[in-house]
Amino acid sequence: MRTPLLLSFLFLALTTMAQAPGWLENTLYGNGKFNVVVVVVALIILGIGLWMWRMDRRISTLEKDRK
Amino acid sequence: MELRHWWWKFLAIALLLFASITALRTPLTPALVHVSPDRIAPGTSVIEVLGYNTDFQAGSTVVYLENADQRVCPSSTEVTDATHVQATFDVPTGLKEHLTTVGVDRLRYEGALFTEGLGQGIEGGACGPSDASSTVADAPFAFPNRSILYESIRNLHFHVPMWFTMIVLMAISMVQSIRVLGSNALEQDRTAELAAQVGLVFCGLGLVTGAFWARATWGAFWTNDVKLNGAAVTGLIYLAYFVLRGTVQDAHKRARLAAIYNIFAFVLLVMFLFVVPRLNAVDSLHPGNGGNSGFSDLDLDNRLRMIFYPAVLGWVLLGVWMLNLRVRAARIAEPLDP
Repeated sequence: MRTPLLLSFLFLALTTMAQAPGWLENTLYGNGKFNVVVVVVALIILGIGLWMWRMDRRISTLEKDRK
Repeated sequence: MELRHWWWKFLAIALLLFASITALRTPLTPALVHVSPDRIAPGTSVIEVLGYNTDFQAGSTVVYLENADQRVCPSSTEVTDATHVQATFDVPTGLKEHLTTVGVDRLRYEGALFTEGLGQGIEGGACGPSDASSTVADAPFAFPNRSILYESIRNLHFHVPMWFTMIVLMAISMVQSIRVLGSNALEQDRTAELAAQVGLVFCGLGLVTGAFWARATWGAFWTNDVKLNGAAVTGLIYLAYFVLRGTVQDAHKRARLAAIYNIFAFVLLVMFLFVVPRLNAVDSLHPGNGGNSGFSDLDLDNRLRMIFYPAVLGWVLLGVWMLNLRVRAARIAEPLDP
């Protein structure tokens, strides 16, 4: 429940900064727009990583409860 | 014996490894990306051509201007390096049609420039390859090189599988909900909830990766496009599913109510993602919608598909694996009465 909320807030934050500064454009458009692919792959790894971290916390709680 | 149950997890990792590495490592096909100036008049003009992943060679590289059936050859060609070439043309008066295509050896850039001055027609020059159409079959494995997209075409193998995974997880959730209506089992209700939760993670990833891709191709993180708004509304519909669940105290009542909502939610997902954006009445920037073709027209040799389908299967299996972990953890945390 909290993860989707977190993601939607992140997304809202993204859309509000739609008027991005020039540096972002220069970065994204670099290397024949390859840097966009780097950003996309990084975001996916971050997202799945965040999910893994929360899953880890969940299992830690389970372990504590068993003791 | 464990291996018998593990094979699909190994398959998921193998597919993701193969698809991600190939998606990042495969080069783009050579293409002409920029021609300047873009407007010339009869007389002498110098034209600069910028190539991407090209291999221009001094001495052998031939630049030419072309329209439907006439070709103008350069008076001199100067190759700066593998991606820069400069050619001087004496454009004759009396062309039957405007010269619009710039060619360098087998590569062509159609609509690269506009030539003024029309007449009765001239004799076409003889330079460059006789058959200018480059054949895909004999080229090494490469992704299509398209203006605006360029290297970002690789995102097809990362952004789109997120949505496929979300749809599969939401479908699993809906099937569990249908079974809840028949059995009234809380176990299936829990699986339906967890599948929708993991599905929303992929929905979020799809929205965020899509926003960055849109920034690099359309110039904005978010546009008021039917496909984009449809995806956002779908996400909100599933957020409302969790809100609805939170409002009912009785577990069995909650299971039945949530199941009915969830079945409608999946129908709306299909409507918002696949039906509304494809109506002919609406325009959409997004490939595959509103009269805008998908990437299939770029993909003469099914090169993108050879990576795309393994990527989709790999991500879907990973999503199912994540759901599997959530369900098992939930079973330990809150065992339900049989």
